[in-house]
Amino acid sequence: MKRLTLTLPTGRLKDDVVELLSRVLSRPLSLPSRQLVVDDPSLPWRIIFSHPKDVATYVEHGAADLGLVGKDILLERENEVYELLDLRIGKCTMVLAGPEHLTREILFRREHLRIATKYPHVTRRYLQEKGLNADIVVLYGSIELAPAIGIADAIVDLVSTGKTLRENRLHVLEEIAPISTRLVANRVSMKTRTLEIEDFVKILKEVVSGENRSETSGQS
Amino acid sequence: MELVFGMKDVYPWEAKVRRSIEARLRTLFERWGYAEVEPPTLEYYATFEKTMSEEMKERIFKFLNRDGKLVCLRPEFTTSVARMFAQGNALPLPLRVYYSGKVFRYPSSPFRTESEFTQIGLEHIGQSGPAQDAEVVTLAILALRETGIRSFEVDIGHASIFRGILEVLPLESEEKEEVRIALKKRDFVALQNLCSRKPLPLPLSPFLLQLPFLRGKKDLLERFSFFSLESEEWQRAVRDLSKTWEILEDFGVTEHLSINLGLVRDFDYYTGVVFEGFSPDVGYPLLAGGRYDELFQVFGKDVPACGFALFLERVLEALQKETSWQEGDSATPSVLFYPPRLRKRAFELAEKLRSRGIPLVMEEHEKETILLATPRGSSTLEDLDEQAVENLLRQEDV
Repeated sequence: MKRLTLTLPTGRLKDDVVELLSRVLSRPLSLPSRQLVVDDPSLPWRIIFSHPKDVATYVEHGAADLGLVGKDILLERENEVYELLDLRIGKCTMVLAGPEHLTREILFRREHLRIATKYPHVTRRYLQEKGLNADIVVLYGSIELAPAIGIADAIVDLVSTGKTLRENRLHVLEEIAPISTRLVANRVSMKTRTLEIEDFVKILKEVVSGENRSETSGQS
Repeated sequence: MELVFGMKDVYPWEAKVRRSIEARLRTLFERWGYAEVEPPTLEYYATFEKTMSEEMKERIFKFLNRDGKLVCLRPEFTTSVARMFAQGNALPLPLRVYYSGKVFRYPSSPFRTESEFTQIGLEHIGQSGPAQDAEVVTLAILALRETGIRSFEVDIGHASIFRGILEVLPLESEEKEEVRIALKKRDFVALQNLCSRKPLPLPLSPFLLQLPFLRGKKDLLERFSFFSLESEEWQRAVRDLSKTWEILEDFGVTEHLSINLGLVRDFDYYTGVVFEGFSPDVGYPLLAGGRYDELFQVFGKDVPACGFALFLERVLEALQKETSWQEGDSATPSVLFYPPRLRKRAFELAEKLRSRGIPLVMEEHEKETILLATPRGSSTLEDLDEQAVENLLRQEDV
């Protein structure tokens, strides 16, 4: 039987994810640092590393059966995948944030509102729900600079400790969604590999809830 | 010139495979007594407004015609077929029809591109029951087999499973809506969060969270009959599924079939059995369908119906992955070279060859003789008498 293929995110989440899978294996998961496809027969899975934004796309198109991906990406891309488990890592919040001296009410009363974000789709839906008209400025990094340099009135971005916001004299105006890493599965794999996926979810669930019990307050 | 975003050209080698699959499905459907229908490409948007989900409505290609009316490119066939037969006066029911053609939808997310799809499907109109459901599911299985895909599977579920669950959940209507949306989006993390916020009675919450894994043969239904006392909808789902399964067993098609209690379909109009066909090599369903007994009511008639559509592009992808793709077999035509002097004679010869089913193109050349180049070799025809032509034709027939 073919092993399950897992897509894991590179970057910020990679260490947490590898650590989580080591617990599933009950032994350290040692992976070659530069290899993007790991086909090691001693592992129960084939592993593909991809950009965090691509994980759910790989899974959606069936290039992988399962993937570990941030909820922020799932909200933005609305991939047609099964969302099976909250892995309780990579926790943060997606928020609307603005300059310290502004309240949400004042901001929402503005006639021409401009919001900078990496998440245009989520932002558009959020504005729609609020019944607000606003221009969306799509940026790729340092979103929190946008109000200070005058290209936006507010931002929609991820916040974990709030330190970056404070440093840029911004504050949270509204929490949009809690974010964490999720286990997702391809629609067809859910049918053709049901039992294997169910087993994997079971073990992962135990590991995640065990981890939760011994959780100290460690946030980056 | 660029292509319109989301559109795709089909080149000869692919067109040939497409046509051959389509031809095989036509033959299959007609042998089962289904007749072809062709609804128009353009319909009033109002036709689909009542049958499509909010999400699907946003994906429809809409524009104004010259009367200022809102029209759209059909996003699917089932609604059009329902409109077609709800309008006709005396329907000789039951009615078995099939269709084949393009449908148009804007991509489901900003990160997808395809907007034009080919659907080949059928509808069984006018009767509702396990016998009809089984006929349609059987045809879905046979259709997949007929495409040449070797490993495929069909999962069958029921629209009333979710309705039944929602019926018995001891929740406020707002929370029920939350559950419905989560189930529809296959977001089981949202369900887990809801269940830990709002503890449900014992068999319910583990069952709800297990849903995506509840897949098996007939015994699955017996294992989960505990719901049946509380919910009318659930009772109906289990009854329909087990009766349909029995018939499918007699038809000998359950080898590729599973019951899947967590099966979700994107269209809101399904009321009974729903099913999806897929290949392990392709990440999305190849075929989907179900029973929709209330769709005709939208057009003023109370007629039950059941049907499915096969997505040709996805089937091609599955074939390609299974490497049974016959790319090179697009027949190279023979070439008949002729001097202008013998044009009339060459044309007669060409028509004779074509009428024997030999694909042929004509090319003028500067030599004084007629030359026929076939994929197997070439022969020069110095003298175009009847005998030479007969010999040639006999030779080509071999």
